[in-house]
Amino acid sequence: MKKKKLLSLLLIICLALSLLGGCQSHVNAPELSGEESGGGAESPYAVETLKLAGGTDWGTPSPYLNVSRGPGQAKMRLVFASLLEKDERGDLPWLAESWSFEGNDYTFTLFRGLSFHDGEPLTTEDVAFTIDYFRQYPPVTNTLGVGESFIIDSYSILDDYTITITVKEADADTLSNLGSFVILPKHIWEKVEDPYTYNVPDCLVGSGAYMCTGYESATGSYEFTAYTGWVNGQQAAQRILFVPVSDELLAFENGEIDIASMPADLKDKYMNDPEIGFVEKADDMGYKMLINFERLPDFLDISLRRGVYAAIDRQSIVDNVFRGMGSVGSAGYVPESSLFYNEDVVKYDYDPEAAKDALGDGGFEISLLTDDSADGISIAEIVKNGLEAAGMEVTVVAVDSAGRDDRINTGDYDFAIVGNGGWGNNPPSYMRTLFSDSSKYLSTSPASMGPRGYSNEEMTALAEGQLKETDFEKRKAMFQELELLVSEEIPLIVLANQSSYSMYRQDYYDGWMKTYAYQQAEQNRLSYMAR
Amino acid sequence: MKRIVLISLALLLLSLLFAWGLLFYPMDSRLPSGASLEAPSGEHWLGTDNLGIDIFAQVSSGFFHSLSIGLATALTAFLIGGALGVAAGYAGGRTDLLVEFLINLFLSVPQLPIMIVAGAFFGQSSLNIICIIAAFSWAPIAKQVRARTMSLRKSGYLVLAKSYGGRLWYLFKTHMSRDILPLLAISALAVTGRAIVQESSLAFLGLSDPLAKSWGLMIARCTAFKGIYFTNFWTWWLLPPVLALVLSTLLLRLLTRALESYWLEKE
Repeated sequence: MKKKKLLSLLLIICLALSLLGGCQSHVNAPELSGEESGGGAESPYAVETLKLAGGTDWGTPSPYLNVSRGPGQAKMRLVFASLLEKDERGDLPWLAESWSFEGNDYTFTLFRGLSFHDGEPLTTEDVAFTIDYFRQYPPVTNTLGVGESFIIDSYSILDDYTITITVKEADADTLSNLGSFVILPKHIWEKVEDPYTYNVPDCLVGSGAYMCTGYESATGSYEFTAYTGWVNGQQAAQRILFVPVSDELLAFENGEIDIASMPADLKDKYMNDPEIGFVEKADDMGYKMLINFERLPDFLDISLRRGVYAAIDRQSIVDNVFRGMGSVGSAGYVPESSLFYNEDVVKYDYDPEAAKDALGDGGFEISLLTDDSADGISIAEIVKNGLEAAGMEVTVVAVDSAGRDDRINTGDYDFAIVGNGGWGNNPPSYMRTLFSDSSKYLSTSPASMGPRGYSNEEMTALAEGQLKETDFEKRKAMFQELELLVSEEIPLIVLANQSSYSMYRQDYYDGWMKTYAYQQAEQNRLSYMAR
Repeated sequence: MKRIVLISLALLLLSLLFAWGLLFYPMDSRLPSGASLEAPSGEHWLGTDNLGIDIFAQVSSGFFHSLSIGLATALTAFLIGGALGVAAGYAGGRTDLLVEFLINLFLSVPQLPIMIVAGAFFGQSSLNIICIIAAFSWAPIAKQVRARTMSLRKSGYLVLAKSYGGRLWYLFKTHMSRDILPLLAISALAVTGRAIVQESSLAFLGLSDPLAKSWGLMIARCTAFKGIYFTNFWTWWLLPPVLALVLSTLLLRLLTRALESYWLEKE
């Protein structure tokens, strides 16, 4: 009897302890929200939380571990700040309060009182350290160049707040490149010898307006919390959450997320709703088809590439896959709605007969790599139908988008369909990394990767030359000349551009914006700042 | 018996309808034949999908795709399960221990996660799907056949035939098949139904040939269409493959049950 009593007492104690333990593990999280809800009138934030659709793992939001695509970079750039930022019109102070340049010298003056998320002050020492560190270990998104093409020659620290960076050769993109590399805390990274595997909490101590306070790779969930030590302006939300959702639209309708992309078929429903606001992304998403010339050297014959254009019913991609919201891709790459578009580019019509003449006798058997998204597979089906009607044999291989990117990076494909955002960027600086033989990113992201096994001197000269041109009109003319050449030579097949809208509830939060250079509201840092 | 005839008739009618859809219906199941997402009409009985491909033609072709995968799987499971079951039940000893171990292994591991991993690892093709599903379908068959063979092994006529020098194949053919084959056939039929659902599940998860016109893929592509539930497209794009899947597996299952009870009654 005594034993039984003792046992039950023990059990009760265990139960009580485990309950206490359970409570404790929740202490940290609710404390934050309690502060928020109590804050009400005094809260400096426009909204408590902004919720976005998560569900995809875009990597740890650190400069060396994020996935090299827009959503991965954007999360990293919330946590890590750069010297400058962009708004609707031009460059803005971000960590640097002011800047000036003369010849190859660019001088930046930092805000007073800057600090990292662990409270350590951020000074020009950290900026200088980051330059040296990036020279040695290029990060995932690298605007400073690699090896010989590292754009910075030297720097000199004038004081804790002022640094002059001397570049090898100033060009039209130099300010933008110097303004957009993110600053690392010297006191943490100086001890790190292999940044590519450095995945401890310290790697998230950033310099940005938001701290990464939660990340779960399996569910693709992220939590960012406003950093109270940020000095340049006020964050709009206390917390930003990326939550996994099964259906983005249903989640938006149920108020589980605050911004979503609008399906083309529901344009009328939402456009007529006065409570809904929109950010338009004209032709910003684009799909191209890469040919691996190393594997298929026959296709270096231009008549075959013309045949490929003639075989594909690209209008049906716009009508059926994008449901009318988009345009047939310009063979010169830059989309029609861009200010840099050249009207004179060669236009290739859908002509199954001509395609058969060009491709029918080749006996080509190819595999067509695509991602396994609904749009990716639908586009692959249209391409396959067209090429098969012209006499080729096509096997479609669909893998997840990261797997597709990996295979393209390593050249493991015949034909590959790549979709990415950013086609509407102004200026179309992606033209250089796509078409210049000396700047092709051969192992980072297929989004800005040039065709494998193809080279063209004239194209390289134009793609590199535009960079040196600082006069807007002259630079535009060079871009247009490059587009014309691309449309004539067809180093890759441009399929179609998709326009879309992000929609949000205006009464809850209407700070979503696009910059003059980048249209993705969800990925712009200023969308999360009070302005 | 009446139930068996009725259910078989219903299955036959369903097959004939889809056979007609495959062979004589004027629309192609792979190429667009109309505009994007046309509602059902005289021309397109069940409308078209987003690429303008006829839905009825796709559902018909999906029936034979699913059925052929189901039958091929069943046949494989039938052969492996039957052979191992008879061998283990008849031979006993170490063979039996080994087969029993394998049966228990395949019965105890969680199927779907392993199928997903195997599907992702071996790549997207119908043959791989058949192999993967068959690998997880033979064990229950082998288990039943083994038990049956063990009970038969001790029967007088078999002991006698064996003592006259009858080999295993002869004994199976003349003395055991009468008892074992109906059991095998019914189990294989059950596998067909299950394989159809499993194939659709794997296709839905993106682990089959991405452009195959299978029901699972039709369902996957329809549900991935943005905003589908806020439009009426789902009524002709999503419902037909779902109903076809439910109806055909239900009929197969009912037929299996009816045959089982008929066989038991007869015994």
